[in-house]
Amino acid sequence: MFWNHFQQLSDEALLDYYHSTRNIRAFRLLYARHKDSLYRYCSQMNLAAAGGVLEELWRNILERPPQLYGRLLRSWLFIHVNKLLHNATEQNQDTAAEAPLPGSKLLSALQNLPRIERNILLLHMECRLPLATIADIERISLKKCREHYRNGGERLETLLNGSRRQPWRTKEVAV
Amino acid sequence: MSAWENHYRDAVAEVISPDCLDEKILQHARRYKPLKKDNRWLSRTASGCAALAVVVLLAHPAQYLGALTPNGHAVDQSDHMAKWRRSSDHLLEKTDSWYALRSEVKAGNYVNLCNQWRRQQRSSALEKLPRDLEAAARSHCRLLPAP
Repeated sequence: MFWNHFQQLSDEALLDYYHSTRNIRAFRLLYARHKDSLYRYCSQMNLAAAGGVLEELWRNILERPPQLYGRLLRSWLFIHVNKLLHNATEQNQDTAAEAPLPGSKLLSALQNLPRIERNILLLHMECRLPLATIADIERISLKKCREHYRNGGERLETLLNGSRRQPWRTKEVAV
Repeated sequence: MSAWENHYRDAVAEVISPDCLDEKILQHARRYKPLKKDNRWLSRTASGCAALAVVVLLAHPAQYLGALTPNGHAVDQSDHMAKWRRSSDHLLEKTDSWYALRSEVKAGNYVNLCNQWRRQQRSSALEKLPRDLEAAARSHCRLLPAP
């Protein structure tokens, strides 16, 4: 199979092809499609554990094909990595302190959000998971999940641009 | 898309997976060797069966005996031969005046031959029998006394 044929395959088809042939080019393409977004998610959730978690995730995929049960591979990846991150954070409570990525004011502001809000914002923005799926991952209701997302966004806006402008109030001055 | 979402997209564009991590994962992937596909054209079973089929086709006596032709229909070549034989017989019948007598002799009936031979013996004016018929008459017929 040629390179451009690989390009046309979906993630799921590529994964099937890799496990039936063990063709390294198929795996490389699959890895290239998801590596950056996975790394961005992991590093913003737990920078110290990101490398180890990602290694474990890809090792699992290489060893045996994941059971997708009709889901997209992308969704499976982020659900699975979320579990691994959760386990890593529980095991190493001391090192789990978030280390902000250098450079951006917004990324630093994101690190100041509570863990649940940050997770919901990242899963929705970075992983493009629907809020309903994220609610299932966090084991909360969809309404609550929407609230967290809205609150997180507002907090970020405030951290970036300051609090909302209040209308002018004039006081009557008695002369 | 709200303002913070746009800001987020711009900010994370530079954050990419580090090369050392990529290399480590790809190195792990290289440990799994590509599976060797069985070439069905070269597989032992397939080639054995194919060879056997060819031998059976070549060595089967049916194709030489014409056993595969349906009843009542001869193979083309033998059909032509039979036609040619029939037509040559008709030609002989037309051209050879002794054809009828000769075929009777061939069938073992010598009555007409002997009558003809006796008549020839008695009167020399009659047309003489050909040599083969004369020889057959000499060996099979006897001359009867004239009535």
